[in-house]
Amino acid sequence: MAGDPRIRNFCIVAHIDHGKSTLADRLLEATGTLSDRERRDQFLDKMDLERERGITIKAQTARMPYRAQDGEEYLLNLIDTPGHVDFSYEVSRALQACEGAVLVVDAAQGIEAQTLANAYLAIDAGLEILPVVNKIDLPAADPDRVAQEIEDVVGLDAADVLSVSAKDGRGIDALLERIVAVVPPPRGNPAAELRALIFDSWFDSYVGAVMLVRVVDGSVTAGQRIRMMARGTDREVQELHVLDPHPRKVDCLAAGEVGVVVAGVKTLAEVRVGDTLTDFRQPASEALPGFEDVKPMVFTGLYPVLAENYENLKTALEKLKLNDASLSYEPETSAALGFGFRCGFLGFLHSEIVQERLEREYDLDLIATAPTVRYRVVEKNGRVAEIESPAALPDAADLDRIEEPVILATIHLPPEFVGPVIKLCQERRGTQRDMNHHGSRVQLRYELPLSEVVLDFHDRLKGATRGYGSLDYELQGYRQADLVKLDVMVNADPVDALSLIVHRDKSHQRGTDLARKLKEFIPRQMYEVAIQAAIGTRVIARTTVKALRKNVTAKCYGGDITRKRKLLEKQKEGKRRMKRVGSVEIPQEAFLAALRLDDS
Amino acid sequence: MPFCERICPYCDFAVIRARPLSPEDESAYLDTLCAELHARAGAFEGRRLASIYLGGGTPSLLQARSVERILGAIRGAFPGDPEETTLEVNPSTLETARLPDFRVAGIDRISLGAQSFDDTTLRRLGRGHRASEVHRSFEACRAAGFANVSLDLIVAAPGQTLTEVEADLVAALAYAPEHLSVYELSLEPGTPFGKAAARGRLQRPGEEEAVAMLECVEARLCAAGYERYEISSYARPGHRSVHNRRYWQRLPVLGLGMGAVSSDPPSPRHPFGLRRSNPRELAPYSEGVAAGDGAGAQVEVLGAREARAEAVFLALRTGDGLDVELFAGEFGAPPRHFFARELDRLTADGLLEEAPDALRLTPRGRMLSDSVFASFL
Repeated sequence: MAGDPRIRNFCIVAHIDHGKSTLADRLLEATGTLSDRERRDQFLDKMDLERERGITIKAQTARMPYRAQDGEEYLLNLIDTPGHVDFSYEVSRALQACEGAVLVVDAAQGIEAQTLANAYLAIDAGLEILPVVNKIDLPAADPDRVAQEIEDVVGLDAADVLSVSAKDGRGIDALLERIVAVVPPPRGNPAAELRALIFDSWFDSYVGAVMLVRVVDGSVTAGQRIRMMARGTDREVQELHVLDPHPRKVDCLAAGEVGVVVAGVKTLAEVRVGDTLTDFRQPASEALPGFEDVKPMVFTGLYPVLAENYENLKTALEKLKLNDASLSYEPETSAALGFGFRCGFLGFLHSEIVQERLEREYDLDLIATAPTVRYRVVEKNGRVAEIESPAALPDAADLDRIEEPVILATIHLPPEFVGPVIKLCQERRGTQRDMNHHGSRVQLRYELPLSEVVLDFHDRLKGATRGYGSLDYELQGYRQADLVKLDVMVNADPVDALSLIVHRDKSHQRGTDLARKLKEFIPRQMYEVAIQAAIGTRVIARTTVKALRKNVTAKCYGGDITRKRKLLEKQKEGKRRMKRVGSVEIPQEAFLAALRLDDS
Repeated sequence: MPFCERICPYCDFAVIRARPLSPEDESAYLDTLCAELHARAGAFEGRRLASIYLGGGTPSLLQARSVERILGAIRGAFPGDPEETTLEVNPSTLETARLPDFRVAGIDRISLGAQSFDDTTLRRLGRGHRASEVHRSFEACRAAGFANVSLDLIVAAPGQTLTEVEADLVAALAYAPEHLSVYELSLEPGTPFGKAAARGRLQRPGEEEAVAMLECVEARLCAAGYERYEISSYARPGHRSVHNRRYWQRLPVLGLGMGAVSSDPPSPRHPFGLRRSNPRELAPYSEGVAAGDGAGAQVEVLGAREARAEAVFLALRTGDGLDVELFAGEFGAPPRHFFARELDRLTADGLLEEAPDALRLTPRGRMLSDSVFASFL
C-alpha cells in the first residue's frame, strides 16, 4: 500500500544563483500559498523569521495546495536543500525526503559544477528529475543550447526540458502541471511501523531543537513516544506542524507528509540529520538507509585579537553552534595568540561562513590560523592517530608516515580557462582524473589533497576563470604523502600559530614566503628581529627586521605636552593590539598576512 | 607673540603673518595681552616670578617699549625677581638693531633662532635670513651686553649632510653661547614640509644618517664643555634654561597670548592641575579676553593617570631624570609601585637606568625615548 496519491514531495536543485529561491517564491504565489499581502521576494529565504506561529521557521520547505487541470486537489511539498558544497550529506538527506527534483539551470550560464553534482545526487537518490531552464527573460538566454547541454551532460531528454522565467512567471503553470504528472506519489507504507526521516533541524529559543521530517512509513501523532534510532534516545512528541509556509499545528503527520516535530530536545547536538524517528513501543526493525555521522573536515584556530574578547568569542560560538550542529569547537591555547578555540568545519566554505558571521554578527576581531585538515598519522610503533593541528604532530623521528585526505574535485569552466586551471591544480598537487567537453563547457576532474584546497583554492579558481569556474568535491579517502611540519621563529622563539603541515616540495617556498610576509608587517623594534622558517632544527629560510635606531621627539614644551601624551597613548594602544612572542611584538596584520599567504 | 614676517614651512605654531607689524596691531595685541594677564593672575596668586619668556612667533618684531610694557605689567602682577627673562630673537638686521633697547627694557637672555650657519641649509629650511646675519646678530647680542645667549640649531634638515652639521656646530661653538637647543627637524602634519614628506617629496637624511648627526651633536658639544641636560638642550655649567625646565618638572606656567598654553597650579579641586590652551586664532582669542571668560581657552583637567605618565615622560627627557622622591611625594608611591613591569623590561633592555634616587634614560634610551615613554601611558 502506497502513501497518499495526491501528495507530491519534491525539491529544487540548482547551482548557486541559478534562481532556486525566486522559483520557489513563484510556485508559492502561483498556488496561492502566499497571499498577495504576504508576498515579497524570496519570502522563504528569511532565516530569522521569529516565532511566527509558535516556532521559528528556517528552511525553504513549504506545503502548497494545488488544484491541477485534472480537477483534483493536490498537496505539493517543496523541500528545501542546503545551498552549498560543504553540505552534500545534508543535501543527500533532503533528497531522500522527495520523490522528484526540479533541476534548475540558468538559461545564460548553462550547466555548472553544482548543477551536475546535485543532478547526480538526485539521480542516485532515485528521484524523478524535471529539468527546467530558468531566466529565459535574460537577453543572453539561450534555452535551446542549455536544453541540449542538459541532454548531453546529464543525460535527460532535451525535449523534456521546460523553459521558465521565475522573474516574470512564464512557464510556472506548466511546471506545476509537470510536477503533478511526473513526480510519483510518496513511497512508503502507511500501515507499517513509523519511520520518519530527519532531513533538517534548527534551534528555536523557546522549544529547543526542531526537527523537519518526512514520514515514510506509518504516522506520527502528538503525544506519541518516539525514538531516534541512531542516537538511541527517546522523546515524547510535543507539537507537530505543517508549513503553509507559516507553521500550523496539526495532530498527526501521515505517511508521505512533511512537517515539523517538536519533542523536547534541548540542543541541536542531540539531533542527527539523516536519523530515523520510530515509535518507542513498536519500533521499526530497520532504520532508513544512508545515515552517516558527519565529521568536520577542516580545522582552524580562532583567536580574539584582544584577549579580553575571549568570553565574547566563546558566547558567539555557543550561539552559532545552536543553529549549526556541524560546527565543533574546543578551547585551545597558543603561546603567540593566547586563548582561543580549535574549530572544526564541514569544509572550507563552511569555515569562511562561520568566520564571517562571527566577525559581522558578533562584531569580533579574529585571528584565524591557517586552515588544516584531519591527518592520519602512523607512528613507527604502529600507533595510528588522527590530528587536526600542527601542534599535535608527533616528533618526526617517531613517524612512520602521514596520510592526508584526498578529494575528487569536479570543476566546470569555459574552455578558454582550461590552461590556467590545470596549472592551478598541478600547483596544488592535483592528479587529473579526466576532462570532458560538454558543448561550451569543460568538465575537469582532479584528485586533490584537501589541504591544498582549503586555503584559497576557490578564490584562485574564480580568479583564474574570471568567476566562470565552479567547483564541487567529494571526499575520496586518505593517501600517504611526504608531509613535514614547518615552524616559524622570531628571535628563536617559535610562533606556534604559524606552524603548518605542508608537503616537503613546497616547504621551502612556503617558508620563504612566510618569513618575507612577516618581515613586511613586523614593525621595527628596539632590537633586530631574526625571522626563521624551519623544519625540525633545519632552518630553510631566514630574514631580519632591522632594529629601530631612533624614535625621539625633538621638542616638548608647554603646548606640546597634551598632544605628545595623546600620541604616546595611541602608540601604546597599537602595542596592546600586538601579540608578544618572546621579546618580539607582532601586529595582528602580520598574522593575517602570513595566514592569508597564497602561492602567487 | 604670534606675529611673523614669514611663516617657516616646518612650523606648526599658532602664528600670524604680519609684514610689517603695524603699530596699531601691535598695541591692540598688547592691550589684549595685558587684559588677559590681569584676568588670569588670580589663578597664580601667591606665587613668585621665576622666569619670563617672550616666545613666538617673532617677539623681536616688537618695539622695545612694547617689551618694556609687557615686562612691567608682569612684574606688577606678581612679586619676586625673575631668574631669567628671555626674548626670542630672529637674526634679521632690523631686529638685532633693537638689542640694546631690549636689554634696557629688562631682557637678560636672548634665544637666537639661528637654525644654521649655512646659507644652503637656511634656504632649504625656508628661512628668511642668511648665515652672515646669524654671525652679525650674535655679535650684536654680545655687543649689547647680553651675557646669556642661546642658539637654536636644526639638524637633519632637507638635504643636510653630516659634514654640514659638523660645520654648523663648529661655527656655533666659535661664539661659545651659554646655551644651545639643537632640534632634529620634525615634520608636523599640515605644514608644507609635512605635506611634502607625506607625498614623498622631501629629501631628508635617512635614519642612520640622522642618528649619526644626533650622536655627533652630543659628542661635539659635550667635548666642548656643554652638558646635555635634556634631549635637545645643551648648556654650559650654570646656564640651563630656568624657564624650559619648568615644563619638564611640571611646574606652573602662566601662558599668555594667542595659542599660549598654561599649566595652572594644582588646587584642592584639581590636585593634578589644569592645562589651558588659548585659541589659536586671533579673533576668538581677543574676543575671549574681552568677554572676560579666560580667553576662551580649552581646559583639560589632568587626572592622576595622565599626570603620572606626564611626570615620567617629561622628567625622563632631562639628564637629571625622574626624581623618585618627588614623584612619590606627588603620587603617593614611587614609580616602581605603578610601573614595576615596565621598569624591569626597560632596564633589562638597556633603555633605562634605575638608581635609588632617580630614573634616567641610557644613551640608547634617549635615541628611542618615545618607545620608552609609550610604556608609561
